[in-house]
Amino acid sequence: MEVNVKLFASFAVGRLKNEIKVYPCQTTVAEVVESIGIDKRELGIILVNDKHASLDYVLENGDTLSLLPLVGGG
Amino acid sequence: MSFSKKTEASSVTYNRCSIDLETGLIEFKELPCRNLEEVVGGFGRSFQLLGERDIKEAYSSDNPLVLNTGLLTGTGIMTGLRTYFSAYSPLKHSNKGLPAAMWSAASGKFGSKLKWTGIDEVVFENRSSTQVYVVLSEGENGPCAELKPAGHLSGLTTHQKIMALQKEYPDAHFAAIGPAGENYQSVHMGAVALSTENQLKSGEDKCRFAGRGGMGSIMGYKNLLAIVAQSKDAVKPITSEVRNVNRVIMKGGGSTKYQPVKQGGGGGTWANYEVLQAFYAVPENNFRPKGNRDLEALFPENVAKVMDIRSEACFRCGIRCHNNLHRKMQDGAKGGFVAKFDYEPLDLFGANLGILDGEKVASLVKLCDNLGMDAISLPTTISYILDYNERHSDNPMLNGAKFGEYEKIKELVIKTGLGQLKEVGQGVKRLSRNFNETAYANHVKGLELPGYLPETNPGYAWSIAGGHMSMGTALSFAKDGNTNLDYWVKAITDSGVLQVGYDMIGLCKFIGLLMNHEMFPRAIKAATGLEVSSIDLETAIRRAYFRGLALERKQGYEAEEYTLPSQVFDNPNPNVKLPHFITRDFFTKLEQKVWEVFDPHVNELLDEILGEDEA
Repeated sequence: MEVNVKLFASFAVGRLKNEIKVYPCQTTVAEVVESIGIDKRELGIILVNDKHASLDYVLENGDTLSLLPLVGGG
Repeated sequence: MSFSKKTEASSVTYNRCSIDLETGLIEFKELPCRNLEEVVGGFGRSFQLLGERDIKEAYSSDNPLVLNTGLLTGTGIMTGLRTYFSAYSPLKHSNKGLPAAMWSAASGKFGSKLKWTGIDEVVFENRSSTQVYVVLSEGENGPCAELKPAGHLSGLTTHQKIMALQKEYPDAHFAAIGPAGENYQSVHMGAVALSTENQLKSGEDKCRFAGRGGMGSIMGYKNLLAIVAQSKDAVKPITSEVRNVNRVIMKGGGSTKYQPVKQGGGGGTWANYEVLQAFYAVPENNFRPKGNRDLEALFPENVAKVMDIRSEACFRCGIRCHNNLHRKMQDGAKGGFVAKFDYEPLDLFGANLGILDGEKVASLVKLCDNLGMDAISLPTTISYILDYNERHSDNPMLNGAKFGEYEKIKELVIKTGLGQLKEVGQGVKRLSRNFNETAYANHVKGLELPGYLPETNPGYAWSIAGGHMSMGTALSFAKDGNTNLDYWVKAITDSGVLQVGYDMIGLCKFIGLLMNHEMFPRAIKAATGLEVSSIDLETAIRRAYFRGLALERKQGYEAEEYTLPSQVFDNPNPNVKLPHFITRDFFTKLEQKVWEVFDPHVNELLDEILGEDEA
């Protein structure tokens, strides 16, 4: 299946920014995160099709997965 | 009260210096702590003193200015640099017109130098009839304090005052106000600038600011233009346990987001811009995001095309969170320092005013800093003016400035800082009431909102000082997207409240851990030998927070003031890509449940405070 993966802020440094990637069916968000090489502890926000989702979310063909880092105030 | 078998509050003492600015009388007292909040320090102690006073006007001689530090300020615990200024605020006030008790905080090295003089707290009483500055120093037989004439400092910028004093006082750091604070009658949002090592070594205006609530204006009212803290550096040898605690601070995950990207971090608070933009939730044009990509001109990679960005840290801190902007020379070399880009000043002087040129935004931040005003209250008040003028093109206010009109906005900044625009300097609550258009005045309880949309943070209503620094819910909605009522009750009453603990203990919030983390008792034990359990520390933090709410009630705040700007309810912004969940119905249910949790504690403390007043 194809998933549009979007990385934001520091996640995009040295990695893709916005790319359609091919994964096996039933791939979870966690598996995509691992395949991209992002440390789960640094994950702040996970969006699937602009809606908040969790690591165990099972992706579907055509989904857009956005991964954003933790942010803090100041 | 005993909070552990080994340590009782009353066995811990702190050194208070009381300075009567009217008579010149200076007294030193060693006082026992009455409770754990006083041990931990910061506003936890100062709000107890403020609660003992009956203050009707901020600009009155009986309104004390309390300068203090936290338990871990000046220790070897990383980020232990914080200084606190507390008083009844000339800016934040109830609908009954009574000033609210406020504090603001800053880093730099001033707090450590103060602690190393042997002074934990200074209470400035009354006001001097002439302009003065105070020198606090370590003497052979204990700390010393001296009042000195400050006529030669009058009118200087924050940076100029500090650099002038540096010539005279080696081994010292400084707190100073700018022209804005000196013009306190017209400027209620004066900030206090604290010096940094970077500043004193480079000569560049790299101060840190205790900006919120007008503490610099209180200094100006008291004719106190600056404070010198002179002492030899006295960080104790770093033990293995202190080193272990610092390792948790650096590597524990909380502070990573503030480290430079090149170091594997998140890039500091500037990263908020891109993350919140994913939801079109970055304040633009007076907190009304446009739903387009215009503001991406202020993303770091775009500003880096025209300016030199350097990551720096505070004294002895391993968290290099400062994004310092310098001009870029034609040959690409680094030019003069312009400003430090934190998220708030960046957005509130940038997209929220319709200015999308990084260099222009940095110039406005620099002006605000040097004139000595709060970099949240000033631009949030200006953004209201621009919004008003857009709505009333035929009859605008002041110079008619609108969004994006840099020169006119710059004029507003300068004139306000020089005391020429009381309409701006008194803040957005007073201004909007004068014009009878309050729906889009972005304040809560009289204090201007920071750079997070109110429609994403119902917790603002229960912040007791700076909106995102005294209630830890500002980014919760972006992070979790949860619209559930019980989620928000918990976020506000459980973890949100703990944010204020940082403004007691002397550590920087960029540690990024909740104050009930096991690291904090370890840090206290490692640095001071005191044994405090996590539960007792958390209880003390909550009690200090509830005392803040109790003081608001004492100063006349009523239930309807714990709310958000009405346009949140009545005119939700369709451009924001997050669910609009804060309806009036939701908020009514939320406040009912939050007060059910808070009221018993607040009422108990209010009875205590009022009982002391009657006594």
